[in-house]
Amino acid sequence: MALDPAQPTSVAGFRQRPDAVESSGVPAGPPILEVAALGVTFGGVRPVVDVSFSVKRAAITGLIGPNGAGKSTLLNVIAGAVRPSAGSVAFEGKRITRPSAHAVARLGITRTFQLSGEFGGLTVLENMLMGARAQRGESVIGALLGRRYWGAQERALITRAKELLEECGLVSKLDDYARDLSGGQRRIVEILRATMADPKLLLLDEPFAGINKSTARGIETYLATLRARGMTMIMVEHELASVDRMCEDVLVMARGSVIGRGTMRDLRGSRDIRQAYLAG
Amino acid sequence: MNWGFFATTVIIYVVTSLIAAWGLDLQFGSTGVLNFSFIIFVAAGAYTAAILTLGSPSGPGNVAQQQYFAGATLPFPLPWIGAMVVGGILGLLVGLVALKRLRGDYEAIVMLVVSLMALYIVLSDVGFLNGASGLALIPSPLQSGGNLTGGTGYGWFYSGLTVVVGVIVGFVMHRLMESPLGRALRAVRENERAAEAMGRNTAALRLLVFALGGSLGALSGAILVGFINAWSPGAWGFAETFLLFAAVIVGGQGNLVGVAVGAFIIFGLIIQGVLFLPQIGGDSALTECLQWITAGLLILLSMWLRPQGIIPERRRRLSRWIAPARRKRNGSGLLRWR
Repeated sequence: MALDPAQPTSVAGFRQRPDAVESSGVPAGPPILEVAALGVTFGGVRPVVDVSFSVKRAAITGLIGPNGAGKSTLLNVIAGAVRPSAGSVAFEGKRITRPSAHAVARLGITRTFQLSGEFGGLTVLENMLMGARAQRGESVIGALLGRRYWGAQERALITRAKELLEECGLVSKLDDYARDLSGGQRRIVEILRATMADPKLLLLDEPFAGINKSTARGIETYLATLRARGMTMIMVEHELASVDRMCEDVLVMARGSVIGRGTMRDLRGSRDIRQAYLAG
Repeated sequence: MNWGFFATTVIIYVVTSLIAAWGLDLQFGSTGVLNFSFIIFVAAGAYTAAILTLGSPSGPGNVAQQQYFAGATLPFPLPWIGAMVVGGILGLLVGLVALKRLRGDYEAIVMLVVSLMALYIVLSDVGFLNGASGLALIPSPLQSGGNLTGGTGYGWFYSGLTVVVGVIVGFVMHRLMESPLGRALRAVRENERAAEAMGRNTAALRLLVFALGGSLGALSGAILVGFINAWSPGAWGFAETFLLFAAVIVGGQGNLVGVAVGAFIIFGLIIQGVLFLPQIGGDSALTECLQWITAGLLILLSMWLRPQGIIPERRRRLSRWIAPARRKRNGSGLLRWR
């Protein structure tokens, strides 16, 4: 059963916005992402083999499978960090197989990382601001023109970042170095940072790995809120209970291929999928 | 002792070294690019300024019959500007080769090799920049005749000019580092993959700091050569890069004031100060060795006792930009933190 953001949550203190719990209003329309016959080869290893699927808008698509199934590699290809050896990826109808990671990000695809993706030597607020794009002070000329040129935008971004951090109870950490946060806090900052860019597609690589259940439930609730606001997500995750609560559509990968697709209830009934998990 | 000459020498030497150290800090301290070839940009600036003031090698002004591939007699400050342009272009070229695909240790090794290649090219091809003899009788800016260091009056003028340039460079560096661009550079240093995923073209940012740092190194060389009026391969060995690294590490990476303190300690107190010590055992070479030994020990001690440097990188408290946040103890949002 997918998590319903309209239902009261058991996580203490989570403040849902009224607009968050209503329907996103995003029309079903064509899929936001289409992956066709995708293959990746590293030397003699083929972590992804002939993978095809599409992702519908304003939904969280789960991507599960045993270790080494090729889930993270697939996510890396979509994010532009790895170039495929075959096939194509199309985002909103535009082929994005060749662009680099930063170009993909500018198209509206943002990601989080399986391992720490924070900027440890930057403060929490600075981390958040790195999520925002097209900043006036990021060109040499803009920087040299000084705060009069970029200060207003910076102030607006700081205000927005603070609001997001407030929503997740991290407002007391604004000026703390990200490296001084706990694992769960870092994970939250990373997700919030990704949302600063207002991505059309958010790629989440094991967002619940290594964090306690309370934090995980909080993140679940927040992600459900983002989905309700119309954000599309692909989530690689090993915690199947979370996938069950959050994702209506789940892809199962094993040995580089997609071996099943459906709801968690459907997938649990499949013998092939149970075998794939047990056999690795 | 001519204290006026000593003071102007120290001022010019420290400030030019500081300009170069700021350039290196932009690459190493702020962006995390380990550039062991930095001194070649200083040398490129010095040689460029030299040949842009010496005049044509076949012209009547070349009384010493020095060999160099081309020359001109440009008025001040064009030789300095030319030096900065050459330093920037060289930075882009070296960066395109070394930064595009390599990272970390491999990148550092390539930089070291580039430095050695540049040195041996200049040493081997005498017709290029007069080989091991180097270039001499380089005219000082805004001084007709150009007889070595000129008088103390000119020395004070030149040191004042150097300080003014240093202040301008410091202002520009401050603007860059305290802007969103500076933040993006620090993000590249902290986690390049994440910066890329946040839409930053990290390859372009690394190239940018290579070009900017190269320009600053070249400017430093151009100013220095206008004072000492000579430049040869002996002035830009790997040891000089090591001293610049020492200034950045000891002073405080990523902190402009820290790097200034480091530059004063390394270039003012150690390199210049040691020259005034009495000879050890009647051997002047031993006293000179003290420069390197002291600088090396200082780096070791700094790494051991205070790796962040004397004045570490400043924490940017951006929350001050907006109204003070209502401090909510333990948070009341998504999660409660202990």
